[in-house]
Amino acid sequence: MHDRDAILGELRATLVELFELDPARITPDAQLYEDLEIDSIDAIDLMDRLRRQTGRKIDSGRFRSVRTVSDLVDTIHQLVNET
Amino acid sequence: MMAPPVRTSARPFRDLYYVRLATTGLSFMLFGVGGVLLGVVVVPLLLAVPGSGAARRTRVRRMIRIAFRFFIGFAHHSGAISYSFSGAERLGRPGQLIIANHPSLIDIVLLIAFTPDAGCVVKREALRNPALVIGVSAAGYVPNAPTDLMIERATTLLTAGECLIMFPEGTRTVPDRAVHFHRGAASVALRAASVVTPVFIRVEPPSLFKSIPWYRIADPRSHFSLRVGRDIDPAAFRHGPPPIASRAFNEHLAAIYAVEAAAN
Repeated sequence: MHDRDAILGELRATLVELFELDPARITPDAQLYEDLEIDSIDAIDLMDRLRRQTGRKIDSGRFRSVRTVSDLVDTIHQLVNET
Repeated sequence: MMAPPVRTSARPFRDLYYVRLATTGLSFMLFGVGGVLLGVVVVPLLLAVPGSGAARRTRVRRMIRIAFRFFIGFAHHSGAISYSFSGAERLGRPGQLIIANHPSLIDIVLLIAFTPDAGCVVKREALRNPALVIGVSAAGYVPNAPTDLMIERATTLLTAGECLIMFPEGTRTVPDRAVHFHRGAASVALRAASVVTPVFIRVEPPSLFKSIPWYRIADPRSHFSLRVGRDIDPAAFRHGPPPIASRAFNEHLAAIYAVEAAAN
């Protein structure tokens, strides 16, 4: 899960499973809160899941600046490529 | 500041109106002055006694509970309010999440006064109130924001076997407006509560509501009635993806309160 496309693919699957979203709605430009209705409580559930998937502790401060799906992909990308 | 309340009839004020106006004012003063004094003098002494972090927190919580009991006793015996509390002996169990509706300013004071060793989720603004900040911090109460930290701390506390009080409405409810439950309490419950116990609070006639200044006291005096409801087992909702489960549980909780409200 090191390149952005692969990350987007996995993230889409995760979002579909967690939030029962229509996969077509999960575009890179989609706003998590406005378009996908993922609120601050959902974000915590999502963070827990990503933590398990990536095996990395995600700093919540970093997560708070995420607005769109592509922001999230970037954050995960940075995270998994950190050593 | 002491403007007379809006009169809706020509009848004279009842139930020792002016006495109660004075004792209501005194109660507020007692709370403010008492809070600052306890925070500045007593909390540091309690913290100075050796013990683990948890032991210190328990000590401070006990002091707060005694102080709140005294405060409620004062407000009650001076005639500012009257209250009844049924089922309080079922509060304060390990890992118990206590939820309540939130009509008035003193709901949390009443709940803490009658719950042994309880933590609670408080508005972040409590940390800016001089009468509260020292006690709130020393007792290990959990600020409600940012949400992710609140959930994390509340979960830790329940997992450690403590008892926690939360108001799912988040803030005092404006009368006659549809009740909205934030999902935070439901999410915390599903993560860590051993049991969820609802408390139903009713204030009749209304006073100390969000839209009512403190000096608009009720006539006759307000009665605060608190009733502990039947335990709810969160385990029944712990399946499927957490966001879906917490929505379902939140709706379940809100429905229980809607039924209670309709019965009144």
